[in-house]
Amino acid sequence: METESKLKSTLDQIEHINQAIRHTQRLRTHVCQIFRDIGDGLGEAAKSEEEQQAQERQKVLLGSLRSSLETVGHDIGELDKVGQTLVPVSPSANCDHVSLDPILDRTPLYSQVNTSYKRTNKMHEFASLAANILSQNALKRSPHQHPAGGKRVKRHMNTASMVPQAVVDQLVATLDRQHQDMRITVSRPLGSCAVMQMVLGRVLKAQVVLRGLVIEWVKVKGINEEFSTENGKVDIWSKSRYEVFQKISDHAAAAMLHYYAPFMPDIGIRSFTLWLQGYSNLFSAPCHKCGKYLQNAMPPTWRDLRNRDPYHDGCRQ
Amino acid sequence: MGVTCVYSYPVPDGKSGQAVVEILQRQIELLGALRSGHFCVDCDTFQSILQTSINVQPKTVYILHNSEQPASCFAITDTSLCLTADTLFDGLMHQLKNYYQQRKNAKMEAKGQRYELGDFILKVGSASLAGSFKGIIVEVEYCPCMVAVDCWGLMKELLQSVVGSVADQPPPILKNRQDELYSPSITVSQYLDIFNNFRKLSATNQIGR
Repeated sequence: METESKLKSTLDQIEHINQAIRHTQRLRTHVCQIFRDIGDGLGEAAKSEEEQQAQERQKVLLGSLRSSLETVGHDIGELDKVGQTLVPVSPSANCDHVSLDPILDRTPLYSQVNTSYKRTNKMHEFASLAANILSQNALKRSPHQHPAGGKRVKRHMNTASMVPQAVVDQLVATLDRQHQDMRITVSRPLGSCAVMQMVLGRVLKAQVVLRGLVIEWVKVKGINEEFSTENGKVDIWSKSRYEVFQKISDHAAAAMLHYYAPFMPDIGIRSFTLWLQGYSNLFSAPCHKCGKYLQNAMPPTWRDLRNRDPYHDGCRQ
Repeated sequence: MGVTCVYSYPVPDGKSGQAVVEILQRQIELLGALRSGHFCVDCDTFQSILQTSINVQPKTVYILHNSEQPASCFAITDTSLCLTADTLFDGLMHQLKNYYQQRKNAKMEAKGQRYELGDFILKVGSASLAGSFKGIIVEVEYCPCMVAVDCWGLMKELLQSVVGSVADQPPPILKNRQDELYSPSITVSQYLDIFNNFRKLSATNQIGR
């Protein structure tokens, strides 16, 4: 309905403009006529013709001049009238042109604009709702992290890896005392970094490289293998020649990451040692799940991280 | 070098030793074991010739070689005392021929196929006395473990899938030394025990004939 009335008014307007143009043209022709008549004047005729004729002609001329002036006056009046009905073209001219489009009914522009406007509105509404909810429940990645604690976290991590040697030695001595079946010695072949040698009963040997109190590297070998090269240096790289201990090395690396605790570094080492002690029954305990000793010619090489139950690599959850 | 169990596998009546060995080999291959060459254990017998009195039995020394320890020589006395030495010890025994003499036709050998399965080494072969077939030998070694009592459970599980009820109990030699750190001399002692059993068996058979 709205568009229809708009269209109608626009058509009216065009009609008015046309009228105005027509009136202007007529006005111009009439004014030109007047000037031509005045320009032609009476001069030559007065000289050559009789006085009477000349007076007649003058009368005619004056009469036509008057009528011309009258029509000019009339034209001006009409042009004025039309001019008053004309309204200035609004600045949103393009929109008017859109609505002037003859195939308006077939373009879905209007409905599209309408739906997108609704969508934008809705999106805005949802976004503000989501922002509200999110601001109420801040996502915290760890219980230790709080907004102002960023600096503190960094300092803690530094202290975990920069611990005086005496503290490390003391911790190792305590661990050695705590675990009866485990012999733990410490050496420093790589400078300040301590290398722990653990001998677990008659089952396995493990080598743990520490940086401060952070476990950096773990290797597990058989009881009859050595952690030193031929010239007596500590060898932290070579792997065991037995598949079982290669597997346990992998598991130990996983456990080392699991027990990593930068805030309480000694807890990390303690729990790792306790976990490793679970391997004391490596060859003598059947799998907790399938109840068998062997799977793929391997004993249960995995120890649960919480309760140290033995599992085959394929049986663990 | 780990805990090893050696068994003699009985040959059922009506079957040749070679056929039974092949059945065992197929069974081991079905477990997924890979062939890795051959093995050989041999045993020479030396007897003392100097006798202080007539009633005293001559003393015996067994000299054994195991292909698993190719640079070693094992000497075991009657009292099952074991000496592990370099292979040069063979030469020394020959130097002592005035005191100890090698018994003729008493050389025993166990030869056969060697397999590897993960950390296990399995061996199946036949034992022969002076070239004649005496019986079948099955050996299973679990390399990572050094204490027999710890790994008997898993050894038994593997052994029973190969030789069945033969491996219900650990070999008698191993049973007495379950709790000590394993050494290759225990393996050799087990072989000697089995060889001696074969010898006794063949001796009684000969008497029986």
